[in-house]
Amino acid sequence: MAEKMELQEVEVWDGNYAAAQALRQAQVDVVAAYPITPSTPIVETYGAFVANGYVDGEFVMVESEHAAMSGCVGAAAAGGRVATATSSQGFMLMIEVLYQASGMRLPIVLNVVNRAIASPLNVRGDHGDMYAGRDSGWVQLDAFNAQEAYDLNLCAFKIGEDINVRLPVMVHQDGFVTSHTAQNIHPLSDDEAYAFIGDYKPVDEMLDFSKPVTYGAQTEEDWHYEHKAKQHRALMDSYVVIDRVFDEFEKKTGRRYKRLETYMMEDAEVAILALGSTVETSILAAKQLREEEGIKAGIIAPRTFRPFPFEELREVLSGLKCVAVLDRSCPMGAMGALYNETCGALATIPADQRPLVTNFIYGLGGRDFSVEEAKRIMREQKGHADVGYITTPIQQFSGLRGPKLGFFESKRS
Amino acid sequence: MAIRSIKNLKEFSTANERFEGAHLLCPGCAHSMIVRELMNATDDNLVIATNTGCLEVSTAVYPYTSWDTSWIHIGFENAATAVAGAEAMYKARKRKGTLKDPDAPVKFVAFGGDGSTYDIGFQWLSGAVERGHDFTYICLDNENYANTGGQRSSATPVGAHTSTAQAGRVSYGKKQKKKDMVAIMAAHGAPYVAQLAPNKWKIMAKGFQKALETEGPCFINTVSACTTEWKFDPKDTIHVTDLATDTLMFPIYEIIDGHKLNILYRPKTVIPVEEYLAAQGRYKHLFKPENKHVIERIQKDINEFWEYLQRREEAGV
Amino acid sequence: MKGVLATDKRGVRELGAEDLVGWDEVTQGVVLNSFDLEVENPAFSRPEERPYSDFNSYTATVASWRVIKPVYNRDICIDCQNCWVWCPDTSIISRDKQMLGIDYDHCKGCGVCVEVCPTNPKSLLMFAEAEDQEAALAKWPEKKKKEKK
Repeated sequence: MAEKMELQEVEVWDGNYAAAQALRQAQVDVVAAYPITPSTPIVETYGAFVANGYVDGEFVMVESEHAAMSGCVGAAAAGGRVATATSSQGFMLMIEVLYQASGMRLPIVLNVVNRAIASPLNVRGDHGDMYAGRDSGWVQLDAFNAQEAYDLNLCAFKIGEDINVRLPVMVHQDGFVTSHTAQNIHPLSDDEAYAFIGDYKPVDEMLDFSKPVTYGAQTEEDWHYEHKAKQHRALMDSYVVIDRVFDEFEKKTGRRYKRLETYMMEDAEVAILALGSTVETSILAAKQLREEEGIKAGIIAPRTFRPFPFEELREVLSGLKCVAVLDRSCPMGAMGALYNETCGALATIPADQRPLVTNFIYGLGGRDFSVEEAKRIMREQKGHADVGYITTPIQQFSGLRGPKLGFFESKRS
Repeated sequence: MAIRSIKNLKEFSTANERFEGAHLLCPGCAHSMIVRELMNATDDNLVIATNTGCLEVSTAVYPYTSWDTSWIHIGFENAATAVAGAEAMYKARKRKGTLKDPDAPVKFVAFGGDGSTYDIGFQWLSGAVERGHDFTYICLDNENYANTGGQRSSATPVGAHTSTAQAGRVSYGKKQKKKDMVAIMAAHGAPYVAQLAPNKWKIMAKGFQKALETEGPCFINTVSACTTEWKFDPKDTIHVTDLATDTLMFPIYEIIDGHKLNILYRPKTVIPVEEYLAAQGRYKHLFKPENKHVIERIQKDINEFWEYLQRREEAGV
Repeated sequence: MKGVLATDKRGVRELGAEDLVGWDEVTQGVVLNSFDLEVENPAFSRPEERPYSDFNSYTATVASWRVIKPVYNRDICIDCQNCWVWCPDTSIISRDKQMLGIDYDHCKGCGVCVEVCPTNPKSLLMFAEAEDQEAALAKWPEKKKKEKK
């Protein structure tokens, strides 16, 4: 029987440690994992828990990240709770298995400590890996700080294992900025955390010998499309369960999560749309702009990158004058992914309700994004809003040394 | 724990089949002979993982499955890890008391072709064996990537024609020697490894039983004569396999705990390898005068390896 | 033609001729159940007793793959089970150490069974697919004399 931990009302944990604690409290049956910066401490901390009797399940240190996710899939199909953690190159290595996991509708929780993708090799945080997984069929939750890394892990198990979802879930946090920054965390007790998640209920388990099941059949042109449609539908409709789980979590903890987080948007005229720790930086900037310069700034942040909060986004953007969409991943040859999602949503509302939309590529490879820069960007948006068109290139690189880099001008007529 | 008694073929035939027909394997395919011998050698519940390849692609195409036991296919390289994950889940759930039938005996088995075992899935197999999971890995070795049309793998022997190491005007086919997977797995410390052949059904069935009963990771390389890619008539699968074992192209032996080698089959008469090569279309180019040296080399390699096996068996290492 | 021990589950539909259902009816996660009801380990039951689901290939037939088929001659057979152990398509039906015959729903006509049959004359021989069972048996060859070297 695994030992319980007596936690304090306020603990001081970094994002990695918080995630590891959540995994321990969830009483995961199998963790198959591999180390990679900056997610390694999650796996190491979990290993320490195992070695000291706090974990009842199995801990399998496999020989690569691809094997980590493969082991998780095999274990999940065998009918139990499964989780792991990775970043960047490891994420890229396991990417084929990510698609396989979601195609087989197996709930797995993957902590992705966001880190840039080689080449050039880089261990710092950006969102390249998160973006690379966006078509893989996983629910993607984004934590902006260590408390959220903890909270969203608990929610992830409950969301993924829900009988109406049965999909794997990623919990993202910024590499180093969140994962390695110690913050005040209000954890749940071991009993409360487990009670919130509940027991794992096996579905189509390989270890029920009275009902042998076959996983991973092949489909060709006669069947593939229908299976994919069913899977897409499940991910699209998972918002119902996500909302419910966030509701229950609020009742338990008082902390309210929404699939699209908004800050000071009620009367905003300009906004930044971003993911990760940048959100909190931008909130500070927005507050300062309001107090010091009278600019009505607001912040929009998708909590669920997938399923993308399409409806909520166009609601909140309708009537806004100008929004800067920040992408912390270089799209290489196109506009940023968040920019595209935003414009896609806006194309479906009347033209006179659409804000101007600009795109900033920023923070690649751990390049710092400051409050000052956020303020500069929002001032620039105010400038666009005042004249009614985008006065700069639509896509720009923020924080880049050297000549200004921008792409595409607005068509005025 | 159900070890079936297999005194003779009649007794073996009382097994209740768990591998169903109407799969898509070629007529005469040795893969299913081997799979049937495995599944009939035990009455235990089985959890089976299979790499992408002929077996997987022919036995689980929606909306059909030919497996009467739990079965999983994830990808090309990771059957060993899939079954390792399932085995870990079994251990965890047994410890926690959440299994539906905790006393039901179960064995974990992974199948892979030579392509997925020797090449693309090598790391995954190596990791699972090194970690010591309790499972048996069976390589269905037809010496090529048969499912995709016969490309070379590191299990393709010297001189064989494959679609990517072709025999042509300036080439005699594959130049590199076949990788010795049995030795590699034995060097991993696997408690039981063997090379078996479906024509010697009793040695194969008993070898399978030994592997299933041995705790820890066991590896078995099996010769799977491929009518389509080796190019012989489907009815001749057992005949070609007989030639393979009796020319000692595929010696049948086991290694216990990495250091005790036992030869399990000694042909009454060792047949010259030319007869084996002549029976298959993939070697017919070797009978051109300019390629005779390749046949000589193949025979030399066989003789040397057989000599080595006998010496090792004698020395008890 | 169904052959021995045919059940109402076996060879019910041509492989590849299934109903094409819609996205809402396909199985979740492409997971397939081998049986319709709970079973004890199938190793302890005979195929003809099992509640095969429509997803089990047992219920399909590949008879159309054949151009030639094996015909079984009970009078000559010695129940050695060679054909049983080496049939790639689980199409040799053997019960209680006795050879019963061919499952023609699943037999692909590969001819391995004929090759491995040790009797003289063989107890299994290949005939044209359209050949009548009785006619084939009537044509059975005599014992082959050993060739003098």
